[in-house]
Amino acid sequence: MISTGVSGLDELLGKGIPRGSRVLYSLEPGVDGQLFMISSLSCSLKKGMSCMVILPNATVDAFRNDAVARCGSRLDLKNAGSIIFLDAIDRERIQKSARTPEAQAREWQARIQKICRENKVDVIFAYFDLLYEDFGLETALKILDAGRSDEKTTIFIEHLNLEGRDLLDRFTSEFSFNLVIAVRSSDRPIPHFTYFSLVHSSWKTSVSRSVPFIISEGRIIPYIPNIVVTGPSQSGKSTFVANATRGSQPADRTGHDRDPVSKAMDFGWLRWRDFDISLHGTPGQDEYDPLIPAALEHAMGVVLVIDATRQDTFVRARQVIDLIERKNLPFIVAANKSDLHGSIAAETIRHKLEIQKTIPVYPIAATRPADVHRVLEALVEYITQYSR
Amino acid sequence: MYLYKTGIAQIDDVSGGLEAGTNILILAPPMSYAEQLAYALTKPSQGEYSIVLSTNERASEVIDFFKLAGTDKRFTGVIDAITKSSTPGIIDTQRMMFVSSPTDLTGIGIKFSNMIESIFEGDFSEGETGLFPPPIRFCVNSISTLLMYRRLEVLYQFLHVLTAKLKKTEGIGIYILNNESFDDKTLSLIKQLMNCVIEVKVESNISSFRIRGIRGVPASG
Repeated sequence: MISTGVSGLDELLGKGIPRGSRVLYSLEPGVDGQLFMISSLSCSLKKGMSCMVILPNATVDAFRNDAVARCGSRLDLKNAGSIIFLDAIDRERIQKSARTPEAQAREWQARIQKICRENKVDVIFAYFDLLYEDFGLETALKILDAGRSDEKTTIFIEHLNLEGRDLLDRFTSEFSFNLVIAVRSSDRPIPHFTYFSLVHSSWKTSVSRSVPFIISEGRIIPYIPNIVVTGPSQSGKSTFVANATRGSQPADRTGHDRDPVSKAMDFGWLRWRDFDISLHGTPGQDEYDPLIPAALEHAMGVVLVIDATRQDTFVRARQVIDLIERKNLPFIVAANKSDLHGSIAAETIRHKLEIQKTIPVYPIAATRPADVHRVLEALVEYITQYSR
Repeated sequence: MYLYKTGIAQIDDVSGGLEAGTNILILAPPMSYAEQLAYALTKPSQGEYSIVLSTNERASEVIDFFKLAGTDKRFTGVIDAITKSSTPGIIDTQRMMFVSSPTDLTGIGIKFSNMIESIFEGDFSEGETGLFPPPIRFCVNSISTLLMYRRLEVLYQFLHVLTAKLKKTEGIGIYILNNESFDDKTLSLIKQLMNCVIEVKVESNISSFRIRGIRGVPASG
């Protein structure tokens, strides 16, 4: 097996990638996912594998400096296993020596074949954008396949995907890629979390995951996404969290079985759109406000639960919104108890809370799991809508 | 909605400035001083930020231009697609980032996102803060160079993403394109991404321009 160099991802894949696989790292524009390829390269070199790197849009020196700047001492290109490059200068030479695209494709194939044969290359790492642009998908992949001297040669491709899901489908269905990983980000209005999606794996067919990550000290560090459920005291946050995970009994209307006011964080788990999500419910009283910024750290989004029958709590709700907005996090409003007599209409709530029209307000009953799930689905949709 | 002052009386007096989310194409022949016009539109006002993607000049040259124009350099960033090919060891700073070449759309996109993110997070200007949400002026100098390296369709898709992001962040975009080097198909496709076009003309060594697409501003030079 070949390690991806990303802890957590290797485990998801069952200790890494089988040799001989074809792997795609698909990057959305503007998403910092280049460390996936570099980490995989670094791991292969450390294992003593012979690697070829094809980078038609950069020189070897620029690549080396970039890669080392990103990975630090983890990537030692000078003292690592064997590494051979075909770079932007080679592309220029090929373009000058061969006039037609067909002749250029043949020239690329010949060079790759020769290098792979002479150096017994185990893994090919290809930055694919320009090959794809110059020759189209089928021919560009044929060019890379020229380096597969036997079934054990593994190919990693990094590609800037400007065409979305359709292109990913072509890699898997038409060209039988074994592993497709899409690196994406939320985007409202700036990326506040980046994540990778395991789109396809030929050997781990049941695995389908989206996992957020941060980059720290040259490493990709996956983490469990977190949705924070917050709002004024006694608005129904604990009930919301409980019903999201179908765990404990609702208590927001009775208050008989337990203290109706939470004074600790509620906690739950759920699976939604391939994300394993943790839910944190904050206490609603203002003396606990110092806890909220910490709870919002690395949160993917926020559900603001308000009691739609109690306008007197809206001032407090507005204070909580101010805390969320300071963190630039996406949020939606769940107007709890909207099934009860005297509840305030969604548009009136929007007006009273002074929130923009783009922020959804959902009238719900937190006692109904279906309502709660509708809100969570809407939040995940709201966060990731630019990413699919 | 935030309005960006342009320094052009025909725009500022009539509409108060450019609306957030505006993308402007400057169509100009070579040696028509289009660059100066683009940089004048990109120069940040008090509390604003600017980012220039430079495919023609080094970051230091761009910064010098803004410095001479009296801009606080802490509010201006440059994505430089030139320097790295001759100085591969050059290291990114908060406000000067380098990509390997104008072909490297992956790198350009990442550096653009990084700069926007650092502006939003308040890390961009050495502790100085501007307005919030931050008004951002973004300039591409030039689309002509990018088109020399990448296919029109690819660049169109890439710019589509970039202009959409800029709209979402409520910034404005200023893009220079040499209208004498490209055919009508190219010009019309790139125009589709824009709200407004400024056409620069040079006659008898005098440059003039015509503005189209700004509400309330007549199409005149």
